[in-house]
Amino acid sequence: MGVNSDAAAVYGHKLSTVVPGSVSGETVVHELADMDLVMKLHYVRTVYYFQQSETVDGLTIVDLKKPMFRWLTSYYPVTGRIRRTEAGRPLVKCNDCGVRIVEANCCRTLEEWLQVPHSARWRPLVPDKVLGPDLRFSPMVYVQFTKFQCGGMAIGYSWSHVLGDPVAGTNCINLWGQLLAGNPPPKSLLPHSARTPTARPARQPPVSATPLSVKQVEPAGDLWLIADACKMATDSITITESRLKHLQSEKLNSVPAFEMISALFWHCLASVRRGGREPRVVTICRHKPRAKKCAELSNEQMISTVSTSHASPADLDLAELALLVSKQKVDETTLVEESIDGDGGKPDFVVYGANLTFVDMEGVDLSGLDIKGEKPVQVDSVIDGVGDEGAVLVFPQGADAGGGSKGPAAVLILPEDQILKLREVLKREFDMA
Amino acid sequence: MTGAPLPLFSSSVKLKYVKRGYQHLVDNFVTFLSIPVMVAVGLELARRGPQEIVGLWRALELDVIHILCSVFVIVFVATVYLMSRPRPVYLVDYACYKPPSNCRVPFSAFMEHTRLINSDEKSVQFQMRILERSGLGEETCLPPANHYIPPRPTMEASRAEAQLVIFSAIDDLIRKTGLKPKDIDILVVNCSLFSPTPSLSAMIINKYKLRSNIRSFNLSGMGCSAGLISIDLARDLLQVHPGSNALVISTEIITPNYYAGNQRSMLLPNCLFRMGAAAILLSNRRRDARRAKYRLVHVVRTHKGADDRAYRCVYEEEDAEGHTGISLSKDLMAIAGEALKSNITTIGPLVLPMSEQLLFFFSLVARKLINPKRKPYIPDFKQAFEHFCIHAGGRAVIDELQKNLELSAEHVEASRMTLHRFGNTSSSSLWYELNYIESKGRMRRGDRVWQIGFGSGFKCNSAVWKCLRTVKTPVDGPWSDCIHRYPVHIPEVVKL
Repeated sequence: MGVNSDAAAVYGHKLSTVVPGSVSGETVVHELADMDLVMKLHYVRTVYYFQQSETVDGLTIVDLKKPMFRWLTSYYPVTGRIRRTEAGRPLVKCNDCGVRIVEANCCRTLEEWLQVPHSARWRPLVPDKVLGPDLRFSPMVYVQFTKFQCGGMAIGYSWSHVLGDPVAGTNCINLWGQLLAGNPPPKSLLPHSARTPTARPARQPPVSATPLSVKQVEPAGDLWLIADACKMATDSITITESRLKHLQSEKLNSVPAFEMISALFWHCLASVRRGGREPRVVTICRHKPRAKKCAELSNEQMISTVSTSHASPADLDLAELALLVSKQKVDETTLVEESIDGDGGKPDFVVYGANLTFVDMEGVDLSGLDIKGEKPVQVDSVIDGVGDEGAVLVFPQGADAGGGSKGPAAVLILPEDQILKLREVLKREFDMA
Repeated sequence: MTGAPLPLFSSSVKLKYVKRGYQHLVDNFVTFLSIPVMVAVGLELARRGPQEIVGLWRALELDVIHILCSVFVIVFVATVYLMSRPRPVYLVDYACYKPPSNCRVPFSAFMEHTRLINSDEKSVQFQMRILERSGLGEETCLPPANHYIPPRPTMEASRAEAQLVIFSAIDDLIRKTGLKPKDIDILVVNCSLFSPTPSLSAMIINKYKLRSNIRSFNLSGMGCSAGLISIDLARDLLQVHPGSNALVISTEIITPNYYAGNQRSMLLPNCLFRMGAAAILLSNRRRDARRAKYRLVHVVRTHKGADDRAYRCVYEEEDAEGHTGISLSKDLMAIAGEALKSNITTIGPLVLPMSEQLLFFFSLVARKLINPKRKPYIPDFKQAFEHFCIHAGGRAVIDELQKNLELSAEHVEASRMTLHRFGNTSSSSLWYELNYIESKGRMRRGDRVWQIGFGSGFKCNSAVWKCLRTVKTPVDGPWSDCIHRYPVHIPEVVKL
């Protein structure tokens, strides 16, 4: 089954819009912080798969849309649209323009669909739109409901990174799930306080240090898409608990799982790319912990780099590499923020994929979305708009939310040939399927 | 001094008091006349003394037969008079549909949809300009089918909208009045643009299990003024059937009528028309007189269809690409003005106090005989009515009428605010406006209300109601959760 036929299996798209139930206000504006603008060329795409059941069958599109009006009243900035200040800096005008809803059908059953390779599986089920070319009228959030032949359903959720990091994005959709189940919005949920414009001093980019973790790209203008990116494929590899313990105990058990896994993939990808562009520097992205119930929209990442000075990572021992990752991170978060010009919001950066990037998805509550108590049987979550060096998203708990914890999962976003070679290396050297 | 125009004089304060005195004199002319007469008669009687009066009586030489015949004649004349008077028609209560917030259409969403559906940049810009100047707010509502890109106007969706708006309004009315569905004698439904088979009135009869001998009527195609036409029809039926009540439903179903083309004259309805419905309970039963809110005093209908220009000014047709839409001609305002003038000419004598009528008559005579260029005297309708409900057809209509009738901002506030909060809900807009006035606590016993509707044809219809009991706030209705925010200032142009 080719990619084309997979995409063609999803048909009958119907577009509509859902707006917040209450008027947000006359001239309400959500300011975009520097870190938001750094992340603006990336998009988080997530697909939740729900099995056929009475509950899922009984839900019509009207039932699915009904809690959205209350949901969007709490999260009204996500329904806004991008505008620019006179100096050119983007901000979000909270004009209640709404989120776009897509309804589609799939002529296959859920079971059949889950057999499709990862890369081709999630794309047809979530709108792969970006912001632009007309920024003023581009929705920042999309939700797609796809009904399978058997009665199962997939919910595709597209989130623009400029609004917030994946933690904020999943908290947002999880609230919808709670409202759908009929729960009142949690009292501790702070209504989003729109940031008021603050006087920002005009900053010159620091002459001395340019951050290694990000790459400046050609001005994206009004189309927030990475220009001429090579086509990225995706894959998901689950690392069983036993295998992880084996790796950790073999080497050093003081290294936490995320660093261990990052080191593992760094090592393997280095050997895959040997002779070509070896990843001497990698970027590590972690999310700052935030109060779970808070409706804050922000990019709370800590971006750091790790570099191997002379040796190729493929030659280094896994233990050494793991130690390097956990101990010798160079925090570049502030440096990255300061690279953004206060007035114009320029220049445009790529974060994920500028170097080989490892993203710690701890705190991203993928299992938090349920349909009236029904949990998804599978969740595919990727980041779109990743640069050429690729990225690995490490989920602490496997993305198969149902059926027992299998262990952490790594979602790879790499060129297709590299993924195949990587799998070979993993099998050969570490006996991982 | 001969050519001095009247307005110059009227700016002087002294003239205001003169005018007041004149009004009191003419309006209460009969009273002023009868007082001296009664005084004279009283004096004469007192002068003559009781014996003389008895003597006068004896001189008439009346006997029993004469007396009985006279009494009989008097009773007969009185009965004929009382029987031939029209039955009073009471408005017991009414209910307006409040659209839920999940049908809300903010400006930005409307514009985005328009851009996605419409390929022609010019017509998108045109619609944006209309919306900016329309006087609509951010809370007007469209039915669920219109939230799709492009809208999906299926028959099923249209019926669903009709059921939603009409049944909600009727349920509300039943709750307010305690009306029993089996008790309804007459049913009149008006919906201009959606006319399925079986009719909307049959849909209501089916849902509420109304009686099999109900007199039901379904008026379609009669435009935005059809609400008052339905009231007129119900009133006429209530004259023929004693001890009856009538349920009148006024609505406009938006789903089937989205215009998908690019012709400018047809784009206005897309921008202005919104969801709404009203259910009104009329009765001629004496026991309802105690609890009724209003009494219907007059209904005046004016039809300018005989004039070709008026007939074609609101015209449904297909454009060059085959899309059906309602085309509004450029002289719509002028025709509306003329229709209003005709209507005023008929209604004026019925409602205006004698003082205004005399002034108007003299001004007319002066224009005809002395100076044709003299400005026509516009009768002061504020003397005749406390409240005005002008069909919220659009900002231009309300502005035009405010100017023509010389109304203050407070008089047209109900119309403007209804346009802002609910948009142009066609025939039901008059009832939203009336509800606004009640919700503001301005409706007192004895107040007179003038409802003016305009519609395709070209028609101008008026209804005059008299309030029978002061309406206490808070009023249960579509304004209940937002009346505290109104009135709002509506800017000339809203920047999108």
